[in-house]
Amino acid sequence: MSDCCGNNQSKKAQSSSCCGGGKKRTVLIYACSGGANVGEISDKAARELMFAGEGTMFCLAGLGGDIQGMVQTARDADANLVIDGCPMDCAKKTFDRHGITNYRHIKVTDLGIEKVKGVRGTAEQVSVVMAKAKEILADGK
Amino acid sequence: MTAKKLQVLGTGCPKCKKLAENAEAAAKALGIEYTIEKVTDINEIMKFGVMMTPALAVDGQVKVVGKIPDAEAIKAMLQ
Repeated sequence: MSDCCGNNQSKKAQSSSCCGGGKKRTVLIYACSGGANVGEISDKAARELMFAGEGTMFCLAGLGGDIQGMVQTARDADANLVIDGCPMDCAKKTFDRHGITNYRHIKVTDLGIEKVKGVRGTAEQVSVVMAKAKEILADGK
Repeated sequence: MTAKKLQVLGTGCPKCKKLAENAEAAAKALGIEYTIEKVTDINEIMKFGVMMTPALAVDGQVKVVGKIPDAEAIKAMLQ
């Protein structure tokens, strides 16, 4: 949880988190974290992106569970990165169901990674997803 | 008419105080009855599903997270 340590503030609504230093974009990262290898890869990529400073991983389950404050958090973020493992698009559909439109979407299987049950994702595959995510986030939209 | 319950979620930084000021200004401008509470306990804040502060809840519904809307914008949230 980010605590409050902000500094100056403008008269207009600020679009950063309280601890964002007032200028940094709030980027939230959600992964489907599903049961197959691609779900694992989505989850690991989201965590590694967070540790690399690209954003903050948030709980997709919170949106799925209709936790109102978490839905509002996604709505108010500057950007949400949604990582789905496969064409079921569960994470994307969760955003769509709440009418949240400020998200960018990645599908692991679109990156040449096959969905297989009972197989571990590899570090290389996680890197592929991370690279795509960084490319998407780099445009600042 | 029941008083609107405004809750400012945050640990007490200047941004939280500003959000509280704006919320009060909005309520006063609308001439509505209201109560305002500053929720500073992190565990209580997390019960709202809020992980970024400041945030504003109106009658238990989180209306804004990680931003400081001005009084005009908050007026719309109170109507």
